[in-house]
Amino acid sequence: MVMIQVDNLTKCFGRTVAIDDMSFHVERGEIVGFLGPNGAGKTTMMRVLSCFLPPTGGTVKIGGMDAFQDSLAVRRTIGYMPENVPLYTDMRVEEYLRYRAKLKGVRGKRLTRRFDEVATQCGLIGAEHKIIGHLSKGYRQRVGLADSLIHEPEVLILDEPTIGLDPNQIRHIRNLIRGLAERHTVLLSSHILPEVEAVCERVLIVNRGRIVASDTPDNLLGLIHGNPRITLEAMGPRHDIAAKLEDLPGVEKVSWEASGGWHRFICETESNRDIRADVFRMVAENEWTLRELTSKRKNLEDVFVEVTHKGVLRDVAEAEEEEEEEEEEEETEVGVDGE
Amino acid sequence: MRNFFTIWRRELAGCFLSPVAYVTMVLFIGAAGGTFMTGVVRHEGVQSSLPELLYSAIMIWGTVLITVISMRLFTEEKRAGTIETLMTAPVTESAVVLGKYAGALAFFMVVTAPVVGCAYILARMSPTIGTIDTGCMLAGGLMVLLVSSACVSVGLVISLTTRNQIIAAICCFAAIWLVILAGWLIKVLPCGGGEALVEYISSDHHLYNFSRGIVDTRPIILYLSGTVLMLFVAVRMLESRRWR
Repeated sequence: MVMIQVDNLTKCFGRTVAIDDMSFHVERGEIVGFLGPNGAGKTTMMRVLSCFLPPTGGTVKIGGMDAFQDSLAVRRTIGYMPENVPLYTDMRVEEYLRYRAKLKGVRGKRLTRRFDEVATQCGLIGAEHKIIGHLSKGYRQRVGLADSLIHEPEVLILDEPTIGLDPNQIRHIRNLIRGLAERHTVLLSSHILPEVEAVCERVLIVNRGRIVASDTPDNLLGLIHGNPRITLEAMGPRHDIAAKLEDLPGVEKVSWEASGGWHRFICETESNRDIRADVFRMVAENEWTLRELTSKRKNLEDVFVEVTHKGVLRDVAEAEEEEEEEEEEEETEVGVDGE
Repeated sequence: MRNFFTIWRRELAGCFLSPVAYVTMVLFIGAAGGTFMTGVVRHEGVQSSLPELLYSAIMIWGTVLITVISMRLFTEEKRAGTIETLMTAPVTESAVVLGKYAGALAFFMVVTAPVVGCAYILARMSPTIGTIDTGCMLAGGLMVLLVSSACVSVGLVISLTTRNQIIAAICCFAAIWLVILAGWLIKVLPCGGGEALVEYISSDHHLYNFSRGIVDTRPIILYLSGTVLMLFVAVRMLESRRWR
């Protein structure tokens, strides 16, 4: 069953187009990641999905209900954690969670039960009586997450859930999110690519308001030249080693950098073939010394940079073309006036 | 409806979580009480209405109190970003506006109540004053409540327009004084609105009458309808965000 359905969504702030004709869907029980550089439209998308902002065009349906027409019903279905987790800093944790639960229709015995459950789930046992303003960032993030979970929503929308956390806290939140997938549909946005790679079943890469890639992390890696990159460090005549490496079957490109007296070569290979055995044999035959030989697959960060950088370059090129056209027009006009 | 009570409770409790509330209370009680006593001393030996002196003192300092209360109503939420968590919860804009309004008004009443007690303490301690007319006290109290409810609603609308508390405070203060001095301004300015108009909208005049026990329904309707209008505008302003 499709829990989130977005069709031809556009969101403009005056003349700025933050979301440009985006369409995607999220099935029940999926964890989907929204990746993108700053200004791509991730937070705007989260805000439109959570009914904080209306769409300028297109439709957003959550659980079959339109986010604009049935805003109240949609808000009951979703749990939303905004970026930077805004909280009432003068309230205590328990006080705040109880207040939020009541606003979401959780009362009485159910409230007590749910409070205990989310406090355990989010690791807030022992911190219930602390004032939110005195908590560390990691704990505030947990309070925000507990707030989004307390009414047992079907859909969770998390905007940068691990931003500003230390590695321990990130690991905790990551495990928490993975555990949520059984009973919830999760859509999260992030800059932190390893997190998205580790947690999400599907990734949507957005740039400048448009979806530029959408697939599972593995497929995306295969899509964008996900071939292994061989790194080796050797001692010997640099140009000879480079020439021999280039001659090896399957090697597309060889680059070199100095590494403390040794030569470090990076070979881009053209197929899934592992050429490390060939490299070792070649180095041994020529009696050169080898101290490192590793194979590194491209990761999601490389996919992200390749996909979004192209978009940036294209936009920069288009902007330059427009400027040139304007200059030409001005020159023509001046010519006309001059005459 | 339930969300209204939840928000009202949280707003009222929230006022007392900050030390600013207690400082404001003490200063207000000191200032209003002091002004009342000064008025009593100046009118010594003169036949004058104790409720009128009391409620005038409360109304003068009440403008500052209402400004302090209403300037942070929505500006604080916008500045801290908590407006996002509030409006993405399943609550209606009406519940939010009414809850905040009721919380602010309740806080005003809690802070003002001890000052009203001053008059009774004075009557107890002074043999010449004797008993205080309960009817006049109640009527005067009703008028103060009505004027302050209108002023709080104006302050609420102003707090919705900006995320800067200083701007909200200044605009609020100016607007509240306009509400209170509307009649006097018309009287003083050369345009001349006529006696009837001045009497109709002058809060000074209303307070004078009510403190003497003259309960006129026209000012009641004036302030109530003004409050309702401002709250309606506030709800629409908050709703408008869903259309932009």
